[in-house]
Amino acid sequence: MSALHASIAAHDAPPPDHDVLLSIRHLRKSFGGLKVTDDVSLDLRAGIVTTLVGPNGAGKTTLFNQITGHLQPDAGEILWQGRSLLGKKHFQIARLGLARSFQDLRLFDQMTVLENVLTVMEPVSWLWQPGGRNGRSERLDRVHTILERTGLADKADTRAVDLAYAERKFLSMARILAADARIWLLDEPASGLDRSSYERFLELLRSEVQKGLTVCIIEHNLDIVIGISDRIAFLDQGRLLADGLPAQVLNDPHLAAIYFGDQAP
Amino acid sequence: MLAYLLNLATLICINAVLAITLNFIMGYAGIFSIAHAIFFGVGAYTAAYFALHASASVFLAIPVAMLIAALISLVLALPALRVRGEYFVAASLGLQVLGVTVFSEWKSITGGLGGVIGIPPADVFGYDVVDPVAFLALAATCLVIVLIATTALLRSSFGRNLKAIRDSESAAHAFGKNVAVIKTLSVMLSSALAAVAGALYAFYMGFINVESFTLETSVLLMAMVIIGGTGTVAGPIVGTLLLMLLPGLFSYMSFLPQTEIGSIQQIAYGLAMVLLMIYRPGGIVGSGTRAAGKGKTA
Repeated sequence: MSALHASIAAHDAPPPDHDVLLSIRHLRKSFGGLKVTDDVSLDLRAGIVTTLVGPNGAGKTTLFNQITGHLQPDAGEILWQGRSLLGKKHFQIARLGLARSFQDLRLFDQMTVLENVLTVMEPVSWLWQPGGRNGRSERLDRVHTILERTGLADKADTRAVDLAYAERKFLSMARILAADARIWLLDEPASGLDRSSYERFLELLRSEVQKGLTVCIIEHNLDIVIGISDRIAFLDQGRLLADGLPAQVLNDPHLAAIYFGDQAP
Repeated sequence: MLAYLLNLATLICINAVLAITLNFIMGYAGIFSIAHAIFFGVGAYTAAYFALHASASVFLAIPVAMLIAALISLVLALPALRVRGEYFVAASLGLQVLGVTVFSEWKSITGGLGGVIGIPPADVFGYDVVDPVAFLALAATCLVIVLIATTALLRSSFGRNLKAIRDSESAAHAFGKNVAVIKTLSVMLSSALAAVAGALYAFYMGFINVESFTLETSVLLMAMVIIGGTGTVAGPIVGTLLLMLLPGLFSYMSFLPQTEIGSIQQIAYGLAMVLLMIYRPGGIVGSGTRAAGKGKTA
């Protein structure tokens, strides 16, 4: 169990200084007759790692898609620091300080590693970025710092499509680091990583959380879930079955039965 | 012989401008338009009308042609924001057909099927560019300017925005890119620069009609880009050179029956396209395996 987790787990409720950054209220979404999000309410608190757990098809990614504006909910409310996000375009939501990663990464494949990271730092859609030459060299410095941290420094000029699997995962992390966001929505960022890559990923995530980053992460690997979560939200068939401290949620035999099937330990 | 070569070189310059500007949206924004000849046409008709009724100065006629083409290109940008890939190809085909109809019916501006005649020569600082060598210099200057402008744009943050959208539109959205603005701007820029070629063409020929701006031209331009190498700087120029020089080459092959040259050309183009797509899908300049400009994730 991580030190970070242990320190939080010692309290029953999150400390009062962890303000609610993002609040989901009674969210509903159906695809035809299928309820993919069924009356979900969830708070993401500043500086807290919330893990979304649940079987495949539970509606975890769909929840992300509604937060980021890729999907419009049928009913309910999503509040960012008290203000509604509904009706905003996804790029506007991103600019408020929400960044996400994708399960299938969606890197800018034909661009180099450096360009992948740099373009995230260039939010202006017009023909040029503000800040002139200084702004540009500052951005390049930041790119190189991020590439060092993600172990991609010597791959700066490699096209994303030519990277190895773990490197692609870290490029996805580098890109989200570059977004300079207040909240990260990570969709299975560690899946398929070997032990050492996974440790590096965890270290990176922890150091950002210590700086005050808020994270919501979808993860299946229970070691990872236990290693990084401050809170766990358990989703099944679009419903939020539990939302609490890791120990409470993971020790609930009913949830374990859903997650592992009936032969659960 | 010299006159023939000068003519060929001038037309190569004009077509290269078109291929470069088409590659700008095809290769970097992933917008596969088969309506590019329409903006060539808009540039040509606007410059012709302006030259006949106001001024033949290239410093006035070309900017006016660019402006009008940029505005009309919003009609193309609109479907580009809503649909991708083959759906957009179909939408741009519709625009191409529509454009040709307007060109051939709006007689007061375009002269209908008869076209516009008696376009005055281009005026550069009060000097009429009638000499073929001088006109070639003018066309080459425009080509260089367009090449520098597009290359600089593509190396800038704007170019990265375009490529990001091409590679993954949803990820571009997720990282705060205003995809609608970026796509619209790219279509407007491409169309405005294509209008430069149109204006040059109108001044050069002195006569224009709808024949030059048909679907056939759009398809030929697309072939130039794909054969040369989509999403590369040199690709469209190589493609233009190849497709413009081939006809000349065929007519020098004395063993070919002169009356059949046209169909032999078509067979050669078709065969070259098929073989290229099998063995070098990235085009002559592009790297062998990559399919640049191919939209992957929606």
